[in-house]
Amino acid sequence: MSRFTYLFKRVALSIPVIIFGTTVTFAIIRLGPLSPAAAILGPQGDARAIRQIEKRLGLNDPLWEQYFDFMSNLFLFDLGQSWVINSGTPAIDLIISYAPRTIWLGFWAVLIALGIGIPLGFYAGLNPNTFSDYFASFGGIVWRAMPNFWLAVILVTVLSQSEQLFGFSWTSFIVETNVVTSPNLAVLKNPTRLLTDPGQAWTNLAKATKQILPPALVLGSASMGTEMRIGRTAVLETINSKYVETAKAKGVSPRVLVWKHIFRNALIPLVPVITAEAFILIGGSVLVETVFSINGIGLLFFRAAEQGDLPLVGTLMYLFILLIVGLNIVQDFAYTIIDPRVGYDG
Amino acid sequence: MMETELTDDIDQPLRDRLKAHPRPALLWAAGLCVLLLLEGPTYLDGLLGAIGAGLALLPGAPGAEAFASASAFFSELPHLLSRELVPNRGYYDGSAWQGTFLGLEPKYAWLIRFLLVYAYVAALLGWLWYGYVLFRRHYRAANWTPTDDVIDRLRSHYWGLFGLAVVVFFITMAAFAPVVGPTTAEENIEGPYSHDMKYYNEDTETVETITIGEANLGSASRGSGDSNVGIWSYDDFGRFHPVGTLVSGKDLFTFLAFGARVSLFIGLGSMAIAGFIATTLALVTAYYKGVTDLIVVLTSDSVQAMPALLLVILATVVFRNHWIAELYSGAMLFILLFALIRWPGLWRAVRGPALQVGEQEWVDAAKSYGQRPTVIMRKHMAPYILGYLLVYASLTLGGVIISVSALSFLGLGITAPTPEWGRAINIGQQYIASQSWHISLIPGILITLVVTGFNAFSDGIRDAIDPQSEGAEGGATGAAAGGGGG
Repeated sequence: MSRFTYLFKRVALSIPVIIFGTTVTFAIIRLGPLSPAAAILGPQGDARAIRQIEKRLGLNDPLWEQYFDFMSNLFLFDLGQSWVINSGTPAIDLIISYAPRTIWLGFWAVLIALGIGIPLGFYAGLNPNTFSDYFASFGGIVWRAMPNFWLAVILVTVLSQSEQLFGFSWTSFIVETNVVTSPNLAVLKNPTRLLTDPGQAWTNLAKATKQILPPALVLGSASMGTEMRIGRTAVLETINSKYVETAKAKGVSPRVLVWKHIFRNALIPLVPVITAEAFILIGGSVLVETVFSINGIGLLFFRAAEQGDLPLVGTLMYLFILLIVGLNIVQDFAYTIIDPRVGYDG
Repeated sequence: MMETELTDDIDQPLRDRLKAHPRPALLWAAGLCVLLLLEGPTYLDGLLGAIGAGLALLPGAPGAEAFASASAFFSELPHLLSRELVPNRGYYDGSAWQGTFLGLEPKYAWLIRFLLVYAYVAALLGWLWYGYVLFRRHYRAANWTPTDDVIDRLRSHYWGLFGLAVVVFFITMAAFAPVVGPTTAEENIEGPYSHDMKYYNEDTETVETITIGEANLGSASRGSGDSNVGIWSYDDFGRFHPVGTLVSGKDLFTFLAFGARVSLFIGLGSMAIAGFIATTLALVTAYYKGVTDLIVVLTSDSVQAMPALLLVILATVVFRNHWIAELYSGAMLFILLFALIRWPGLWRAVRGPALQVGEQEWVDAAKSYGQRPTVIMRKHMAPYILGYLLVYASLTLGGVIISVSALSFLGLGITAPTPEWGRAINIGQQYIASQSWHISLIPGILITLVVTGFNAFSDGIRDAIDPQSEGAEGGATGAAAGGGGG
């Protein structure tokens, strides 16, 4: 089977997955004990307003018609509108205005996790059973077991009171920022300003980066621990494999041995971990964004769910499912490129 | 699991071997009876109470009252680990402590009871282990079974043993929650204004009576000034708080003990259901393969493609006023949700072993003897995959505990007054940098410890049942941690 047939098959198999997830979402929202109309208006909603919303949402149509409407609208990316959070705004506009901050957060979360987790894991693997290996391994295990939201709460406190606690002020470090706030990403929308108005634009970029680092560290914490552990095992396994011994025997220098023969092969098992991070980021972003009050998609979802904006919740759920499925396909495909031994039928 | 299977088929049944040499077994059984009788009323009280609560859910509640009254009867009987035997609450009358165990300070009285609970559990577990050793030495037909090696490997796996110790600590805390706490949930957390207590008023130098609710107002931990009751200290009313008080002045240790109960209940309940689904599906797909396998693969992929935490958030919101969200303050809803969301992970973990065992000759042999498929799956395949299931369920349980506390941190799910660790973290959020840091930090450390414990236990079992697997931890455990999502 060629690579593209494989890709095609993978995409085809993902269609029932998306339909299933969306159907479950539909079932929860439309068949659950809470009617969307009642949820939108809250407990005090009067009967006439409820009827009006029911009519506009088509809640009085036969169920199969509602189902087909719901599904076809989503599949055609007619994502409906928000009812409570920002009444009357198309959902797509809301998502476009909230998404950049979440993407920014996710980008740094992955980067920090990769930048710290993998080197630490490889270091531990190259120096197995030493004190620093045990220290790093144990740290990774505990770090992974820590609840994200708790870590976030502690980090917020420590950073916002760092002056009193350590005599070092995080808020005025390099650039003046607050700990609990949304980063301002206006610069990224208009990157030419980095050249035309360098002073202001670079400061803003630095601010946005500095603000996102603590939440990104928290969000990446679980995957950092996992990456470290798996990186360590992968290195240990590669070191003990025959071809490394052969390379050693034929006189390859230790430097080339580590970088060319061990490092590159040890990266393979890390691929699924890196993509698996997407799942953690999607779930974790709700908590981290709530604690750091970053106006991102996670917070939007949480607020929408809490305030009963069920149509918006359904739309967001659909987008998350698409994202996860898409990432899974990318991961499998990347796997076949990186490691040709992986079968296409697996 | 394996010994009993083996002994069934050996010429001399276990009963005869017991008859031939009854002394060690009888002594052991007598010891076990003593240990169980010491705490008998508690077990019967809990068992009957649970049956009664279950019956009360049925329409008409048949017999629920009879069970409730029987449970109440047993709760009155004296037993070893009771608050009445080692009371820690009393008052100071100006010269000595009244009403506490042997007139000790409440601190030591509580500590004695706390240690007694753990000593009892340690004795019980030790006795059970001794029973297994006796069985191995005197009654088992085979000199050696593969399980012996598994157990030996686990015994020398210190990381796994650490995990086991933490798990036992946690389960004991949850199971004996009404006894280990310095006070009870009913008096301190649920209805503080309907219970009275006595205390020594230093200003008037007299013993006065006050409702617990009012006393709680005076023992609140609010960070600044005098208003803090920290770790290992007394409040103004002579009550001892091992890990301080909450913002509301309620005892944090009691809160944590009952919170452990909810977490454990959700974790075990959801893993039991998910484990059952996963095992059944793994056996069926490994036996029949083909289309069945494809359908289950697609279903599990679909479930895993849904963002788990967000799905739970949505479901808790939708079911907020539904009767199912009222069972045990919402714990029942969580059990069902986590079972439905987490079974694919468990299924994926046992699918490989199930496929492997399905290829074995003994399965073929059983088939050709004409044994029914259900019997083959249950008797010849299931025992092989249960170990793997335990490895993964223990790992996932940690994830469930984190998710539940994350949701109650957000104010969803387990409703007050039922304690949940995540809620304590939320309550204490703004006091972390103050002297009342214990409110948020202690529950967080406890969650980290318990989750690490379950992970370590899972590592231990994995290395014990499959010593070659050490390198293969990659995909499976990674994804499990990912599932935590908290």
